[in-house]
Amino acid sequence: MPANSAVTPSTLSQRDLPWQIHWDLHTCTLCGRCTAVCPVNAIELGVFRKRNINVPPLGSQKPSSESSVYYGIRQRTAPAYACVGCSMCNLVCPNNSIQALKSETTDMLRFHRDQGGQPRTRGGRRNLSDSVLDQIKFMRISMLTDPALDAGRHEFEIRTLIGRILPPAQAIKAGQENGWVPPVREIYPLMIGGMSFGALSPSMWEGLQMGVAYLNEELKMPVRICSGEGGCPPRLLRSRFLKYVILQIASGYFGWDEIIHSVPQMKEDPCAVEIKYGQGAKPGDGGLLQWHKVNRLIAAIRGVPPGVSLPSPPTHQTKYSIEEAVAKMIQSMSMAWGFRVPVYPKISASSTSLAVMNNLTRNPYAAGLAIDGEDGGTGAAYNVSMNHMGHPVASNIRDCYLNLVGLGKQNELPIIAGGGTGKNGNLASNTAALIMLGASAVQIGKYIMQAAAGCLGTEGDRCNICNIGRCPKGITSQDPRLYRRLDPEKVAERVVDVYLGFDIELKKILAPLGRSTSLPIGMSDALGIADKAAAERLKINYVV
Amino acid sequence: MGRVKTVRLRGKDENGRVPSRILEERIQEAAGKGAGRIEIDALGQHGLGGRIFKPEGEKTRVIITGSSGQRAGAMGLPGTSIEIHGPASDDVGWLNAGAEIVVRGHATNGACNAMAQGRVYIDGSIGARGMTMTKFNPRFEPPELWVLGSAGDYFAEFMAGGVAVVCGHEPQDPSNVLGYRPCVGMVGGRIFFRGPLKGYSQADARLVPISDDDWDWLCSGLKVFLDRIRRGALYKKLCQRGEWQCLAARSPMEKVGARRRSMAEFRSQVWDIELGKNGLIGDLTDLDRSPVSLVPTGDLRRYAPVWEHKKYMAPCQSACPTGMPVQERWRLIREGRVDEAVDVALAFTPFPASICGYLCPNLCMQGCTRATGSLQPVDITVLGREGTGARVPDLPPLSGSRIAVIGGGPAGISVAWQLRLKGHEAVIYDLEKVLGGKMSTAIPQHRIPPHVLEAELDRVRQVLPGIHLQQALSSREFEQLKADFDFVVIAAGASKPRTIPIPGSERSIPALIFLKEARQGRQKVGSRLVIIGAGNVGCDVAVEAHRLGAKEITLIDIQEPASFGKEREEAAKIGAVFRYPCFTREITGEGVLLTSGELIPADTVVISIGDLPDLEFLPPSIATDRGFIVVDEQNRTSDPRVFAIGDAVRPGLLTDAIGAGRRAATFIDQLLRGREMDMEQPGLHSFSTEYSETSEPIDYSRMTLEYFDPRITGYNGLESCASQCSSCGSCMDCGVCETLCPSGAIERKELPDGGFERTVREDRCIGCGFCGQSCPCGGWDLVENFPMG
Repeated sequence: MPANSAVTPSTLSQRDLPWQIHWDLHTCTLCGRCTAVCPVNAIELGVFRKRNINVPPLGSQKPSSESSVYYGIRQRTAPAYACVGCSMCNLVCPNNSIQALKSETTDMLRFHRDQGGQPRTRGGRRNLSDSVLDQIKFMRISMLTDPALDAGRHEFEIRTLIGRILPPAQAIKAGQENGWVPPVREIYPLMIGGMSFGALSPSMWEGLQMGVAYLNEELKMPVRICSGEGGCPPRLLRSRFLKYVILQIASGYFGWDEIIHSVPQMKEDPCAVEIKYGQGAKPGDGGLLQWHKVNRLIAAIRGVPPGVSLPSPPTHQTKYSIEEAVAKMIQSMSMAWGFRVPVYPKISASSTSLAVMNNLTRNPYAAGLAIDGEDGGTGAAYNVSMNHMGHPVASNIRDCYLNLVGLGKQNELPIIAGGGTGKNGNLASNTAALIMLGASAVQIGKYIMQAAAGCLGTEGDRCNICNIGRCPKGITSQDPRLYRRLDPEKVAERVVDVYLGFDIELKKILAPLGRSTSLPIGMSDALGIADKAAAERLKINYVV
Repeated sequence: MGRVKTVRLRGKDENGRVPSRILEERIQEAAGKGAGRIEIDALGQHGLGGRIFKPEGEKTRVIITGSSGQRAGAMGLPGTSIEIHGPASDDVGWLNAGAEIVVRGHATNGACNAMAQGRVYIDGSIGARGMTMTKFNPRFEPPELWVLGSAGDYFAEFMAGGVAVVCGHEPQDPSNVLGYRPCVGMVGGRIFFRGPLKGYSQADARLVPISDDDWDWLCSGLKVFLDRIRRGALYKKLCQRGEWQCLAARSPMEKVGARRRSMAEFRSQVWDIELGKNGLIGDLTDLDRSPVSLVPTGDLRRYAPVWEHKKYMAPCQSACPTGMPVQERWRLIREGRVDEAVDVALAFTPFPASICGYLCPNLCMQGCTRATGSLQPVDITVLGREGTGARVPDLPPLSGSRIAVIGGGPAGISVAWQLRLKGHEAVIYDLEKVLGGKMSTAIPQHRIPPHVLEAELDRVRQVLPGIHLQQALSSREFEQLKADFDFVVIAAGASKPRTIPIPGSERSIPALIFLKEARQGRQKVGSRLVIIGAGNVGCDVAVEAHRLGAKEITLIDIQEPASFGKEREEAAKIGAVFRYPCFTREITGEGVLLTSGELIPADTVVISIGDLPDLEFLPPSIATDRGFIVVDEQNRTSDPRVFAIGDAVRPGLLTDAIGAGRRAATFIDQLLRGREMDMEQPGLHSFSTEYSETSEPIDYSRMTLEYFDPRITGYNGLESCASQCSSCGSCMDCGVCETLCPSGAIERKELPDGGFERTVREDRCIGCGFCGQSCPCGGWDLVENFPMG
């Protein structure tokens, strides 16, 4: 703001902002790269006046004042232009002359992010780094007691099953009497969760798919990826790679007519169908792909005209009871591929999860339940939904699993856990913890964006602008100027790296447990936590 | 060499099986006593034959019959040779440190685990995990394992040195002589093998050719091996070079992981083949999707600068009701064209000196961008006062159209002046004896030197010959004017003072009368003066009264006085007291009695609460509202041939009256010529000014004021003023932008008409916005690049 203009209640100083630009006059070369790259125009060239007062020996001559001008980088302080801390400026700076530093005090900007009565929306994550999963230790380490396995030496076959797994006798009976047994897929237990074509840029989406195809075809790791709710490119639908894809259907039903049209030309069935009812990041809320993001490409894939807004309401429109929701949707989706494809719902972790779980146990077509915890990410949500709504994933998974145990169906209905897995970088240990709490598989989203595409978001409110189409890494933007910053091939390479690295780490956890072929699903006696209340709640060991 | 002392030991005696510990004691005792040959009839005792420590050169043979037990030869030492007559149990040769061990049969799991020196010969096959964790210590010869048959699973795991030879003779699995997954974690040593192989850890080992030296070593070693196991007859069969292969550990440098297809290869050979050209969405878009850098140029820039020279109106011009192109005039002065800068004013006003130089509150300066940065606005009065010498524009020939102007004040003169500049004849009728309206009759002379106004009025008379003074007007005469002229413009001003209906109001003098009389030198004033109404006119009264001898001057108002600027300053300077809120109840012989009961003593009371137009002549067809004439945006009255401007419409500043005259004249000219409405200013063709009066005013935030020194509080002449003008919205050609541009993308081009323009080389520009942020004039905008995708 001009130094001497009137203040408004939302006039902020640089010190009031959560991210503060520190710029060094002495090393800056005024190359302009930082202002050119800043996604939110938070910085600009500053013209600064400098005064020099020359005071000769007093009394000899009059002191003089000289004004001169120098140039540098100035941070804008209007709330609309507040720095988001992405640090792209630092990335492009040839001399490390500029950086965005997080304020150590409570920022004042948070009180002004409702200009025009519109509360803050953003992409990203909860901005809370606490994690129960991180606190869980694997304390059952076999050395002499069990055959100790060597993660590097022994062969592991890390696989899980998605689908309704009938006990053998029942399966045979079902096959003989009904001529049908529920479809089951043997897959790698770490899946890439649903992120739509639209939420993600074409480069990101293709990169993820390419990496998954590579893992399957070159490394024989049966990794699966969920399409998210935004349709699926026709070429993928008609390729053999479709078998690596879990197609998602959600309340917007985008692209599903295109998918149905493609069924006759499919070489392969999809791995599964995920019916999305909720998302951990914003439980109970829907989404809206704004009209200006619906370009020709997105429109073609979603089967809509360009330039219209695409709402995904919080609820499916024709389902008013859990029975109806579960029965109707699972039946319809199963039918689409002749009951050859597992169909399971995905819900936000919630105190109602148990009810859903119980209902699914009575539905012969239900292939599992995906539960997305409060730490899940999103491309756009109200701050309040993201930060304050939802249920932690650990206890939700645990409750559902123990409920299955009570019904004797713990080996029958797989639980897929997601939401914040690896949020602090501990992907393998978080995954293993979820598995040992009762999950059959784990879905990741943010982690793969950070690890495979260099997403700058952190749990410290850094960047988090996925919602405005200006992702500085080109991960969530539909603007070719931005998404061409991302090379799908490099994303794919990183996906492969992440999975290979994860695989080694997971083995390091599983080997001392003596597990090399069957996942230790629900093997909670191996888990410990130094938090008594958490131990009691999760029914795992309390260790100090 | 003397006779070898032989000791025979039994694994089972009269007490039954001899424990491993006892048998070991007996072996050590025998060895310690110099036994050169120890024969043991074993019964599964542990670790037989190892750890026989003898002086260098002394040899010990250990012959084991019976069942040899686990870890036979464990920690064996140089000089010890062990023959096991029959198969060996697990871990034979474990941690062998130099013994030669011959097994006349198969060996089970773990043969030679952790062996560091010595040789182990197996007349048969071995079980799982043979030759694992073996070492090579450079102080000694590497260890060797010779196996006649085949190796079991997980052979040579973590093998770190030594040589294993697997002859593949009568192997356990004829299709695979090295078992399942050999060489995992192998970091050193070599494995010679004969026969088929089903895979090995390619990350750790690789097949290497067998050199002549290797072959010679292998052949001679094989001879010894077969001799030890007494199978010399097989030599010829086994010694077929073509049947042997060799696995060697990869060096750390070679261990880059197993070769797999690169992602680029996968993309071109698998991905794009299955999906089609350009992958996943190649059928849906033909956009280039190749990777780009973070700071690209050209079309890939997110933002692009646009040179917006003269796109917006400068704030000074925009603030001026007259529409004076103030900033253009300062430019002319910067360019050394002082005369042009002075002369051009007459295209806009007949009174550049009187009004801009003296009487105007100078809204242009109030609007000056510099004020937003606490800088002294550029002083227009310096330029205005040069206006007495301005040359009249060339007058066009008369069109034949005639317009009557009622009123010879600033509004009337302005409209007549402008009409004349456009080629029409304007005739002015005024009541007063002198031309100039209140400027001549009411505004005190301390505000403007009389010769300045007189000079400008002379110029007016020169341009407008048709001026008729002392012409009172009746409604009948008004109708006659309408009949005689194409249009009539009413610029009669407001000459009827307003009063308030309070007792004693007849004792007060209206301000207008006071000022007029004072100017004539006819006004008498007592020593105590109260002025009711403390606006600018009240202030003028105060200063005039002071000149005329008043001592105690009080201005009262019912609210905070609206007076401002020079008038207020002058009044304050002569010691006038401003009081408010004061409500007058009565004017008495003693003074002004307020509703509060207070009496402000006064010899003279002046009432200064504004004037109303005197519109006796106005026909009823022309609408008025509370005494003022109602007009539309073009100053046209409800009679389409009658216009009204100035105080007769709305009380305003002199510059408002001048501006209204310009607007009305322009519109009348359009009507006369039947052209589209535009604001082309006559009389400008001989000047190099360039602007559009219809532009939006420029946003103050676009200008950069840091180039100016805030300590400058006054100006020293025209050049000093001009040098401090930021040239808002018009490029001043300072060159800052092209100097600052990090990529040298801005070019200055001379235009054929003598002007210039700045352009951006898109192949160089990165869209950093430095040009716009540094520009003092706000001449650059940074806009989002065209939509893509």
